[in-house]
Amino acid sequence: MYRTAAKRLLGAGLTTSRLLRSTIIPSSYTSNLCTSSMGHTESPISNQSGPTGTGEGPRRKPRPEFEEEQARVLSASLRHVARLGWTEEAMMAGSRDVGVSPSIVGSFSRKEAALVEYFMDECLQLLVDRVDSGLDLQNLIPSERISKLIRVRLEMQVPYISKWPQALSIQAHPVNVPTSFKQRAMLVDEMWHAVGDGASDLDWYVKRTVLGGVYSTTEIYMLTDDSPEYRETWEFLDDRVKDAFDLKKSIQEAKYFAQDIGAGVGKSFQGLMNGVMQTMSTRGGRSSSSF
Amino acid sequence: MALRLLSRRTLGSRILSYRASLHSHATSFGFQQVKEEEKSKLVGNVFTNVASSYDIMNDVMSAGLHRLWKERLVGKLSPFAGMKHLDVAGGTGDVAFRIFDAVNSVKRRALRKVDEASLEETQIYVCDINPNMLNVGKQRAADRGLRDNKSLVWVEGDAEALSFDDNSMDGYTIAFGIRNVTHIEKALAEAYRVLKRGGRFLCLELSHVDIPVFKELYDLYSFQVIPNLGELIAGDRDSYQYLVESVRRFPPQERFAKMIGDAGFEKVEYENLVGGVVAIHSAIKL
Repeated sequence: MYRTAAKRLLGAGLTTSRLLRSTIIPSSYTSNLCTSSMGHTESPISNQSGPTGTGEGPRRKPRPEFEEEQARVLSASLRHVARLGWTEEAMMAGSRDVGVSPSIVGSFSRKEAALVEYFMDECLQLLVDRVDSGLDLQNLIPSERISKLIRVRLEMQVPYISKWPQALSIQAHPVNVPTSFKQRAMLVDEMWHAVGDGASDLDWYVKRTVLGGVYSTTEIYMLTDDSPEYRETWEFLDDRVKDAFDLKKSIQEAKYFAQDIGAGVGKSFQGLMNGVMQTMSTRGGRSSSSF
Repeated sequence: MALRLLSRRTLGSRILSYRASLHSHATSFGFQQVKEEEKSKLVGNVFTNVASSYDIMNDVMSAGLHRLWKERLVGKLSPFAGMKHLDVAGGTGDVAFRIFDAVNSVKRRALRKVDEASLEETQIYVCDINPNMLNVGKQRAADRGLRDNKSLVWVEGDAEALSFDDNSMDGYTIAFGIRNVTHIEKALAEAYRVLKRGGRFLCLELSHVDIPVFKELYDLYSFQVIPNLGELIAGDRDSYQYLVESVRRFPPQERFAKMIGDAGFEKVEYENLVGGVVAIHSAIKL
């Protein structure tokens, strides 16, 4: 249910990303994804849109759509982010790689945010693909599954970690907040879906909010972590996930406690009301407060 | 009463103009019908006459707003160091100077990593069919100390037959010029030709207002006030009468956007400023 909603929301962005996956994978994951992306190397993007012009000669290839070009440019720009940051310069360098004039960057709405949002979408898609292609979750308890998923997702950011604070600040701009919030919500949704959660009541919001909090705090912790292979970040993550599950237990306990109290109060209130009724009936309407 | 007369006249001539546009031997010069060959000559005369007071008249007619409109145009363009840009019908250089400043501003260079080499590669071509307008522009460049600057190049040429190579420009702008060309489609086709892949087309032009009360006020201002201002300041009522009439004859926003799309451009959009008095159309060549 969530994934179809996600696809609807992201629209064409997801489908084009399948064609372009091979260009943005951090090198450590190529082995895992080679099998699924073998057939999707950089083929000329000629099948997405029919010819929009009239009376074109048959040898002219159909005009590529703007969204496709934008996706290609952004994908190529990611290679320059480590050096140039999430900036227009990186996007202009990317456009030169693709063979398009850097002017095109001027037409992207909310320029740097476009690059960051593209990256977030790509990572979400990668995560979904990894889960689909058999990330081992079966033998783990829910808290460990959550940990593993967050870890997989955060490791995708490792190549860009030096410039990630800039990406976070771009996402926090008021103009960009709606989109970044939506992307994070979808990410958290996917994670719970992968864990196998099917709740649809108030619990749904609580779960996603809590997971969102765990993810964000771990993400920020990772920015200042120097340990080899980010060991400390993963320890931090495990602790937070444990806290979250403990929180869930504590909330449950609090609920039962409240129920008990409520029952107790309810009993005594009922006793009170019975007393009042009796007084009223015996005294025939001339009631007096019997507190 | 003047307004009612006016609307009957515009209705009649509008019907005439649509039929005229189907046979392309007659075209419009304001509300008059003229032969095509004559239009460019007549337009030429208009601009030869107004060249010297063009900038002042712009300021007076638009109450200085034209500066903001041009700023917005250049902002949308997002110029970058090393770009090759063509400003057509930009005789007096308003847009070109703004682009030059945007690329070379010290603040911008400090914020972004720009190397000097690409800064020198920047080329802004200003093309105009009228040499008088170009001379005014060159004079203004000299006043700013840019007479010998290699980045600004003043070229005399026709928007319908540009002398530049295919796929050579990163950006193309035309501000308040496209309604003066005889065949808009040709100008658009030329724009498409000279732009590189990914290059942007931006057109700033006076356009159509649809908002009820504001439309009447605007018509009143255009037809009553502007020709009189033209007479007072530039000493040329007819040129400014031509100007306001040519605005009315120019296709409305949607139709012009369609024409741009027909020329081959992608992602055609337009933005109305001041309720439609001015519109910025933008598109990309892919």
